[in-house]
Parts: sequence; structure tokens; C-alpha cells
Amino acid sequence: MSYLDSLIPPIREHRHPETALAHGSTRLGHGQRRNTCAVLAQAERSFTQGSICPLLPALGIMTSLPETVVLLHGAVGCGSCAAGNNVNIRAGNTARGRASKDAVWLSTALNEINVINGGEEKLTQAIIEAESLYHPKAILAVSGCLPGVIGDDIDGVAARIQEQVTAKILPVHCEGFKSRFMATAYDVVYHAVGRHLMPAKAVGPKDPKLINVMNVGSMGLTDEKEITRILGELGLRTNFFPVFSHPESFADSTRAAMSISICPTHDDYFLNHLSEKYGVPYIIRHMPIGIKNTGQWIADIGLKMGLGSKAENLIKKEEEELLAALDEFKPLFKDKSAFVSAGEYRSLATALLLRELGFKVLGIRSFHFDSFAEVELDKLETGADFVFNVANVQPFEEANLLKKLKPDIFLGHWHGNSTAARLGIPTQVIYNSGYAYMGYQGAYDLARRLHRRLANPSFYQRLAGYARLPYREQWYDKDPFSFIRESV
Amino acid sequence: MTGNFIERPRWTCALGGALAAVGNLPQTVPILHSGPGCAGNFAWTNNGSLGLNVTGPCLGLNVPATNIQEKEVVFGGLDRLREEIENALSIMDGQLYFVLTGCLPEVIGDDVEALISEFSAQKIPIISASPAGFKGDSYYGYEEVLKTLIRSYIRPTQARATRLVNVWGLAPGVDPFWRGNLDGIRELLSLLDLKSNFFFGPDSDLTSLAKASRAAKNIVVSGLYGLTAAKLFQEKFGVDYVQAPLPIGASASERFLKIVGRALKIPGRKVNRAISNAGRRHYVYLEPIIDVFNDMEAQRHVLIVGDANYALALSDFFAQDLGWLPELVAVVNDLSPDSQKNLLDWQTKTGGTVPGKLIFENRLSEISKAALEIWPNSGAKYFNSKKPVFVAGSSLERELAKSLGAAHLSLTYPISNRAVLTRGYTGYSGGLNLTEDAVSAVISER
Repeated sequence: MSYLDSLIPPIREHRHPETALAHGSTRLGHGQRRNTCAVLAQAERSFTQGSICPLLPALGIMTSLPETVVLLHGAVGCGSCAAGNNVNIRAGNTARGRASKDAVWLSTALNEINVINGGEEKLTQAIIEAESLYHPKAILAVSGCLPGVIGDDIDGVAARIQEQVTAKILPVHCEGFKSRFMATAYDVVYHAVGRHLMPAKAVGPKDPKLINVMNVGSMGLTDEKEITRILGELGLRTNFFPVFSHPESFADSTRAAMSISICPTHDDYFLNHLSEKYGVPYIIRHMPIGIKNTGQWIADIGLKMGLGSKAENLIKKEEEELLAALDEFKPLFKDKSAFVSAGEYRSLATALLLRELGFKVLGIRSFHFDSFAEVELDKLETGADFVFNVANVQPFEEANLLKKLKPDIFLGHWHGNSTAARLGIPTQVIYNSGYAYMGYQGAYDLARRLHRRLANPSFYQRLAGYARLPYREQWYDKDPFSFIRESV
Repeated sequence: MTGNFIERPRWTCALGGALAAVGNLPQTVPILHSGPGCAGNFAWTNNGSLGLNVTGPCLGLNVPATNIQEKEVVFGGLDRLREEIENALSIMDGQLYFVLTGCLPEVIGDDVEALISEFSAQKIPIISASPAGFKGDSYYGYEEVLKTLIRSYIRPTQARATRLVNVWGLAPGVDPFWRGNLDGIRELLSLLDLKSNFFFGPDSDLTSLAKASRAAKNIVVSGLYGLTAAKLFQEKFGVDYVQAPLPIGASASERFLKIVGRALKIPGRKVNRAISNAGRRHYVYLEPIIDVFNDMEAQRHVLIVGDANYALALSDFFAQDLGWLPELVAVVNDLSPDSQKNLLDWQTKTGGTVPGKLIFENRLSEISKAALEIWPNSGAKYFNSKKPVFVAGSSLERELAKSLGAAHLSLTYPISNRAVLTRGYTGYSGGLNLTEDAVSAVISER
């Protein structure tokens, strides 16, 4: 039986029990990591700062779907972050030549009476009202924490009401307290897509040149264009999803010759489904960030598609061209140190790129760590040692590390750069949709922006003279990982 | 306003409003006792709502939080909270620790008050509020914070500072212009030689906050927010309050000064002199643009969308200060018919104007329908089009403004397309700011 046969998707803790959220080592140490893998997954912090639950990244995907209404079932604040996602949705629509429209998100705004009496009736009526007001193709009925605690059955509501409603109703389980890992977000969205927007069997005919590319919220059209360009050189075409995909277009994925992941920790749930149910084979290895990484990503596709030598030639040509272009920036990067902090795969792949550009990588923070990223960590083991910290943000550990390591530049996730900035370190965002990060063009463009950042760090230097972090001075004398319990 | 959902809510929940308030108290460390995504949710919400204001030393993802999981939902979250508080005391630098409880601990029944009493031997005070998300909106959370400060932090005193007033009703991190607006109100009060205590923001401190009960009066600059806290303050410390509309611009500032002057028994002569001096100075700034303002026929029909603080205050500004014509005002708060009536009665009683049409509505789709009645598509040869239109609303009204061929300025929550630092619209200087910004929006293609 497939996971997709159940109403409720499994959480990452069940599907990938090796996934870790809390780890810190001042030395990487190959053996140490392998031996402690089981322990890592159990580790917790006895002090934590606010974080991100699966609802947040899930909303980033859901609000991007055209002709779709996102109906948040929860307290009025639950998912109010759609206002922030909306900034990217507007930009993404504009980039794609569509009108700069706001996403449609609604809240059932559960109140005290609903908490006592249940919110199913309110959700039912809200779905009917949303249908008549917006006439969408799909309504995503998204459960926040509250319905999960008071016992609302969103699947039951969706099943009961579907007959009366033209739009496809997709129940989406985002009860934040049920999973520690935001990676669960991708599974719950794919679960809903797989159960409600996919055909009973593959739609024909097969397209031998079509490649499914699973995009991520952080890659905007710029990155998609680069991937399309690269695969186009091999005579292949791309079908990107789920971000910005029309709800009626998901079925196209069953026609593809193969699927490939951009960020392996995101996608195994749906790649397996496409393979098992529709016979679409897949690759889930490497991320096309970094020069060698991009080459490996292309080479894998080449092998699978019988285009091996064509791929090799392309990689060689692209690398030559790029390396020559990077010469302009490399003198400034030489002897500079960097610290990188982001999603699991992205942080590790970006660290590899930084080394390729000539930086010394002092530390890497990953928001979680699981078996998908072992290969990336392996690639990093040949160079100089670095601090490796697994943390679902937790800026207090970061502040401590940065005070000790004093990198010349910090590369961080969206909303993850302000600690470094307050410490006077110039920062470069490495997760913001619309900017170039991927492929050869992305490598060049990130280098160009890093060069620009290092060329004039005065904003950060002045900021550090006055800005305040909220920690006691004594904290900086302590081990940054003092609050991690490796086993519980 | 009926229905079973709110469209693109123009606020976050009580916990979000409370966190914004506590995070802007001086030397204060908020501690969230809630599910794992609340802090991130508020940070991302602010990204698209608050004129780019997201972080603070102890806001954004810096805030200590229990991030409770299924285990705590089943077995209770107090052990996790105890551990979090103990460690927060050792690592976070603060003079006041403020625990805020969200939806999950509230539903499962964690007794946070009892837990906090375990820490009573601590030198640094720890206090708590329970602004669970399902209890209300951001403003409700702001008031819960005020009430906790009144109950647990502000000390009673016999001393009275006759020239000192506390100012409430402007919620930090909920009103995108709260800092600038507080500055504008400080400026107005100083015209009457009054000193103001705001609790929040760059010029506040905990010592003054703890001694707030010596104030001569509480001033609530809102028809809706801050009132329950003001009543509690009166009950507890015997200091009464006066309510005045958010004073946006010169006319509203005059009314504000008169209301406050009367309440504090300041001689009318002195109030009038202050008004006359400030007005004279105000128009020295405004006069030079009169030529072009007239010749370009800057006068506009206005559509306003905003909360109970802003919508009517903006309407008054455009009507009374600029001589523009507010045709449609949408107040986005979800108010009972009684509360709606009270708000309107108060508006006229305090010298405010009544716009062409006033609706209580937060669904943009419904606001757009009301707009279509005022601005129908007509091909008639002679037709009072009520154009050109100026839209004073949130960022969400941009598509509507475009359909009306109107200039648009983001003035109310959510604001994604402006960077807001010192900007404020209260007082005389705020009126000049708003004139600058509104007219600049009208002539952006000039």
C-alpha cells in the first residue's frame, strides 16, 4: 500500500527516522558523524528560539498555484505569513508575464466558541462561500494546529462537501506540532496533490524528451530558465512543478521520460509516487548549485537518457567558459572566509560552490540533516575542516559561532541574515526566489553579488557599532552547543 | 460583515500582536509558549505587512520559544516551559521576562501562572499573558499585554505627576507607523507642556513604566483599542482616562489638543494659543505648494480602507485638511452592530466627519462591489464620474485602485510596498507628511 492511500500523510519522523534537528561539532570528523547518526536523530535542545513549522513552507507552494484558493482552517494568525509569501507570488507572477496579482488566502479564524464546539461546520460553509465568490479550480483546506487538537476532521468535511462544489477540494495537513521538521511540508503538499490532482493512470502519449523538474519555493523563474537552457542543450524540455503550477497541469508529469529533483530532501515522496504509479523513473541526487555539482547533476541525466557523451561535452564547455569568467572576481575572494546557513541541501551545496570560488568555509549550518545529504557532506570532507551545526535556525548558536569564527562573509536563508548583519558581517541571501543561484549562470551571478557585497561592507560595519543582539555577554564564552542534548 | 472566513486577514492573531508589543518593550525578553511555527509565522507575516519591519533584538526568530510538539500536547507543556525559562534567564539579556501563551497550551490547559510563581525568588521579574490566537486579533493581544503590565508590573503610588500622561491605543508592530505616530503625539502633548509615557519604543524605559501609576491621566488615541486596559488602570490605580481620535493632521490635532486640554483642566486660553501658534507654523510649510496644488486640480474623490483607528481618521484628514471628498470608507474590523454604532456616535461627537458611504467590511471582493456602485462603468455623455479617485488603503487595494484609474498610497495594514522608519501621520507634522505622500503619489508620473 502506498502512503498516498491513507488520508493523512506520514511525518518525516516516521518516514525518515534518521532525520536530525540538533547537532553541533567543532570538528566535522567523518567517523564521528557516521557513528553518531542514530544518536543525532534523538538530539534535542533544552533552550530553543522560535522556528518554522511545516505550514510555512507549505504555504509558499500553495499560494503560488494559479486559480487556487488557500483556505486556512485555524486561528486567524495561523498562516498570516501568506502576506509575506504574497510578495514572492506577485513577483513570480510578474516574471512569468502574468498580471501582478495577489494570492487568495482566507482564514476560518476559529474563535473560542469554535474551539469548544468544533470548527467543521464553519469549514464546510467557508468552502461553499469560497467556491461561489472566487470560482477557483482548487480549494486547499489547510489544517493548522487548532483543528488537530480539537479533533476537526478536514478529510471528512472535504469528502462530504465535494459533490456540491465544482472546485477540487484538497485537505492539507499542516498541524505544526505533529512534526519537528519543516521538510514534512513538501510531503503534505505532494500528498494532497497526489491524491486529488493526479489522473487514475498516466496520460498519454509519453514524451521522450520531457523531464519533470521538481522546483522549490526558493527558485524563481531565473533559475528555472537556467535549468531549461542547460537541458535544452541536451535536446530535452522541462516540466517544472509544483511551485507556480496550475492545478490542472500536474497530470502532465505522468507523460515525462523521467523526473529529477532540484533539492533531494524535498522530493522523494512524490518521485516515488510518480515512479510506482505512472512508471516515470527518477534521479534524486545532487543539487545544481556549484560548478561540480551542476556537472554531476547534468551527467546523471545524460546517463539516464542515453546522452552521456553529449552531457560530458556540455559540462566541459560550460566549465571552461564559466571559469574564465570567474577570474575577474577570484582575487578578492582569495583568503576570504565564509559561513553558510540554510536548508540542509542548499547550505552544503553552496559551501562547495564557495570553495570553488576560493573561499575558506569556516562553518555550515543546516536546518535539518537526513540520509539524502550524506553525499553532500562526503564531498566536503576532502577540504579544510569546518564547524557543522544542525539547527532549525536557532540564532543564539549562530551568534556564538560567528563571534568565535569571525567570517568575512555570511550566506544565509531568507530571514536568517540579521544576526550576522548585527555583528558587522556582510551578508548574502541564498534563498530568495527570483535571484540566480543555480547552474552555471547561478554560480557566476552569486560570485558577482558576493564580489559586490565585499566591495563595500560599510553598511554592516556601521550597523555593528550600534545594533544589539539579545544575549548576555557570558553566552559568548560558552560552548555554542551547550544546550544540545545528544540523546534523550 | 458576515461569512465563515476572513479574506486575506488584515491583522494576525492575539499572540502576534502581543509578541510585537512585548518585543518593543525596553529591556524585555518575550518567551513564547506555543507551537513550533508561531515565531516564524509572525516574522514572515511582518515581511509582507509592516513596511519592511521584521526584526528587533528579541523579535523575529530571536525570541525564545518552547516550540511544543505532540509529546507536550499529550502530556502537558509545563516541563518544557520550565526548562525554557531557566535557560532563557541564563542566556537572554533582559530586565523583564514576559511569557506569552499560544493556542496549544491554552487548549491543553497548561497552568502557566502557577509555573511562573515557582520563579518568584528570581531577582528579575517574570510575568505572563495568555493571548491565545483563537481569543482575538493583534489588537486584542496588545491589550492583553497592557493588562498584564497593569496587574503584574506597574506599582501603585500615592505620588502624582500632574504634567505626565500615559498614551495608549497605538499598537507597536501592528500599526506600521506606530513609532512615527507616537512621536507626533508626543509633539502635540508638548505643546501643552505635557510629558508622555508610551511604554513602548526607542524612548521608553522600564523605570518609567513601573511608575506609570503616578500619571495625571491616560490618553487613549482610539475609538476601539486600549479602552479595556484604561478601565482596568482606573480601577487599580484611580487614574482615569480620556479618549480622543487618532489625531492625523492639523484639524484633528486641534480637536485633540482641546479634548486633552479640557480633560486636564488646562486653561482654554493656553490651549488656543498653542493651537494658533502651531497652525501658523504648519501653514508656513504648506503654503509654498498652493500654486501647483491648485493648478493641477489635486483635489480627489477618496476611497479609504483601514482599521477602526485609521479609516475614520484618514477620512477626516482628507475631508477637513485637504478638502478632498471621501466617497467610500471601509472599516475592516469585525464589529457587532452595537460597537459599529458606538464608534460612529463617537466619531461625530468628537467633531469628526461622516464620509459619503461607510461600510464595515474586510473582504476586498465586497469592498470592490461597493466601489462599483459609486464608480460604475458608464458610457453616458453627461455623467458625474466622481473621478479622479485616490485610494488610501493597504497594499492589497492596488488592483482595485488600478481598476479605478486611481493613485494609490499604502497607509494601512498590510503594507508590503513601503519602507517605514520614522514616518508617522499624527500631529501637525504628520499632516504635512501625509500631504507630501498623498500628493506625491498623485503626481508620480509628473
